[in-house]
Amino acid sequence: MTDEEIQERVFDIFSKEAQLDRGSLTAESVLQDLNIESLDMVQILFGIEETFEVYVPQEEVENLKTMGDVIDGIKQLLDKNDS
Amino acid sequence: MNTTPAFRVVVTGIGSISSLGHNVGDIWDALKEAKSGIGPITRADPAKLHVGKIAAEVKDYDESQHFDDTELLLFDRYTQFGLHAAREAVENSGIDFERDGLGEETASIVASGIGGWDTIDVAYNRMMVEKKPRVHPFTIPRLMISAAASQVSMKHGLRGPTFCVSSACSSANHAMGEAYWMVRTGRARAAVSGGAEAEITLTSQRSWESIRVMAPDTCRPFSKGRKGMVIGEGAGIVVMERLEDAQARGANILAEIVGYGLSADASDIVMPDKNGAAKAIRIALESGGVNPEEIDYINAHGTGTQQNDATETAAIRMIFGDHADKLAVSSTKSMHGHALGAAGAIEMVVTIMAMNEGVLPPTANYQEPDPDCDLDYIPNEARDGKINGAISNSFAFGGLNAVLALKAI
Repeated sequence: MTDEEIQERVFDIFSKEAQLDRGSLTAESVLQDLNIESLDMVQILFGIEETFEVYVPQEEVENLKTMGDVIDGIKQLLDKNDS
Repeated sequence: MNTTPAFRVVVTGIGSISSLGHNVGDIWDALKEAKSGIGPITRADPAKLHVGKIAAEVKDYDESQHFDDTELLLFDRYTQFGLHAAREAVENSGIDFERDGLGEETASIVASGIGGWDTIDVAYNRMMVEKKPRVHPFTIPRLMISAAASQVSMKHGLRGPTFCVSSACSSANHAMGEAYWMVRTGRARAAVSGGAEAEITLTSQRSWESIRVMAPDTCRPFSKGRKGMVIGEGAGIVVMERLEDAQARGANILAEIVGYGLSADASDIVMPDKNGAAKAIRIALESGGVNPEEIDYINAHGTGTQQNDATETAAIRMIFGDHADKLAVSSTKSMHGHALGAAGAIEMVVTIMAMNEGVLPPTANYQEPDPDCDLDYIPNEARDGKINGAISNSFAFGGLNAVLALKAI
């Protein structure tokens, strides 16, 4: 999966689960500024796990600040799966 | 809530089973030592779990030692726990409901948050995985969430108001609260009430993992560095009766139930609201004519999640004001885990023991203070302390709050 594909799928998940304007999402978007409700966040993480077949540990979630962090985190988890 | 008290209601029997032991004495000994019942999970394959590899399981429990083969076909693990605790509570009370002619007027109100999840898992596995065409004919009577209430009523000949109350993690407090009101208002002469839960299964643990409220290490309520809750299992049951009846038969009176407060947050299915919690505490005190200053100990809901513990602390401060700095608060979930629909009943038994023994049970696994949780949580070590008044809090998913107030007698 290319980096662009990962980003597109992440934006799909965020916009669907948190009812966000997809066009406004960028890698620089700050998660805190998106005002995502806790239950929506849980669904987003579930969506990421289902889509990318990875497990996202809670301690890593707490370090995520931007959408780019989310995308980078997924890439690392995918690399770990491949190795 | 403005009601005229009719009968004073006392507890004369207690029974419990949890990860800390199979009877009240063993559980109390563990609590005093701050021993935790949390350990590696055995009721599900840990290789299929991420965070839920630990649980507060009832240990060394051989069901065949407690029930015969016919009974075991009918009793899910949660019902067994309910019956086990009820047997101890009834024995402890000294009442023989059939002999004493009380059964016709005695309520059996036994809560569960989930009911027979294990039985549901077995049935699904049989049909969906093993592809067998039929399930056991007792699947329904085993799994139904009212099975424990029914079986307790059948075992002890209780023919008064009998039903299950289910309100997630507040289930047992709601059940005991309703039982209290029944005895108080004369709708039942006595009551056997509490909660039972046995929900440590692979699908359940996975479901709790998915909603991200589980701790991977242990349960550290109110402590900085807390990471969430640890699922427990077990049951707590109390026998309630009129004060005058208890005195007439020379019963050992363990505590008086004086107040019951209920409220709903009406805000979020998972996030707690301090206003709803505070309202339930306030009503519990007011309905019993109890001043906040009369409360010495609070057995907290204290799940160990970031949100619950900070919200509960704020709610306690809202109601108790300056007195919040004088009373002691602990979450014994740090030791027996979060037994969900049984939690309030297990904790009611703990609170009554604390009152009778003059010992404040600790909050175990506590590391360091959190600025959002600034009360006396009895960290890590039990200590002596007289309890004249206590409350036991339960605040459930879905914003369902139930608080019971007790007084020593």
